[in-house]
Amino acid sequence: MNAWKDIGIEVGVGDKGERAANAWALLHEIEGMLDELLNNDKESSIDLRGIPMSAADRTVLERVLGEGELTARITALGLSQVRETAIHGVWWVTHYNTEDTVVAEFLEVSSCPDMLRSHADDIRDTLENLRTQLAQHQE
Amino acid sequence: MAKSETVGEHLRRHGISRRAFLKFCAVTASAMALPPGAGKAIAETLAKQQRPNVIWLSFQECTGCTESLTRSYAPTIEKLIFDVISLDYHETLMAASGEAAEAAREAIIKDYPGKYVVMIDGSVPVEGGYATIGGKSMLDICKHTVANAAAVVCVGTCSSFGGIPYANPNPTGAKSISMLMDEGLVPRKPLINVSGCPPIPVVITGVVVHYLSYGVPELDHVGRPKAFFGQTIHDRCYRRPFYDQGKFAKTFDDEGARNGWCLFELGCKGPTTYNSCATTKWNDGTSFPIESGHGCLGCSEPNFWDKGSFYAPLATSESGGVYGLGAAAAAGVAVGVGAAIVSRNHQKKLQEGK
Repeated sequence: MNAWKDIGIEVGVGDKGERAANAWALLHEIEGMLDELLNNDKESSIDLRGIPMSAADRTVLERVLGEGELTARITALGLSQVRETAIHGVWWVTHYNTEDTVVAEFLEVSSCPDMLRSHADDIRDTLENLRTQLAQHQE
Repeated sequence: MAKSETVGEHLRRHGISRRAFLKFCAVTASAMALPPGAGKAIAETLAKQQRPNVIWLSFQECTGCTESLTRSYAPTIEKLIFDVISLDYHETLMAASGEAAEAAREAIIKDYPGKYVVMIDGSVPVEGGYATIGGKSMLDICKHTVANAAAVVCVGTCSSFGGIPYANPNPTGAKSISMLMDEGLVPRKPLINVSGCPPIPVVITGVVVHYLSYGVPELDHVGRPKAFFGQTIHDRCYRRPFYDQGKFAKTFDDEGARNGWCLFELGCKGPTTYNSCATTKWNDGTSFPIESGHGCLGCSEPNFWDKGSFYAPLATSESGGVYGLGAAAAAGVAVGVGAAIVSRNHQKKLQEGK
């Protein structure tokens, strides 16, 4: 399906007078979310695909939030990237499908996004796997 | 089939980690415009549930709806729906055939009364003898299977509204499932219409996930989930600014067409069609019909096949004119404003649940 990308179609919307009003509104919302995280330990997130954003909005959002210290790549049903921004506690989470198309994008306000945590069920299952290998080694 | 297995247990047994499941739920929740964080809640709810049994019935249809789902552009994400549900009967996909296949359907009806979900593509002929499976008429199969179901999901315009088999002159007496329920020919059950010819894959998946997590989603006046059918193609169309400015392509190869102007005068049904194509798009997110230069056919609306030429503007089509603007269609801006008002009024009514 990647061949679609090779077809030379250019789509123009026409309105070049883009403003970044949505980005600043989002940044104010993030400020409040960080307060909630610090004071009440409440995690929250913003679905970026649900918000109409111009290219200017996106540029402002990326510039103000900046690059943080940590980026994690997760391979689960295609790639997911979890990147902490320069504003600690604000994580930019991007989900791709197996053909590297973005299928969902979130800003998560959390000390550690759920996607990074190991789940108890998975720990239990893989612990069994480890024990099986240990048992085989002892035989 | 493991009877007591939960969705979470089943996924882990098939090597799908919690992270992958969280991703599936997050992507699905985002597509349904559910509140941020709903993905996590859905994952927690679904993981604890037993996999619901699903019987998929195919009546007068072309199998395009199944093709849409199984050949979706994000296969490993959207096909995960087949791990979330226990698809016990689907003529196209199941390995069993003949009496063994019919026995599988009967076993679910008998063993899980009131708990299984029936998904239906295709309309049902009520005139005698037009279609039988295993010696039984489609109407009898539908009536028998739906009688003990928890809910019915109509996949595609044929089962939702009758579709092409229902189109004039409708030689088989085809009817949609809601028509059959209204006429008492099939027992009434909670019904969700996921229309489209075919429906968008993520819409099918999203509706099933929503039903399993929260129950029947909020529906519009023709039984479609508002999350996907709450706005017209026109409302979210990237060519909308040209419509409002009165800039219309007059032919498929004129200067307006080359400049990407509005296709209203070439018959686009976007202003009266409720669906998510303009935002969800098709083919790896490449485009939707209008973006490829062709007007919307209105395939997710009732009677779309009988509303006159696909190439006649709405105001002059056989439907009698949606806006009653007639000749004013040529006035461009007037059309834009009028259509916007009608469209917004409809939108408001939908939001108010009217």
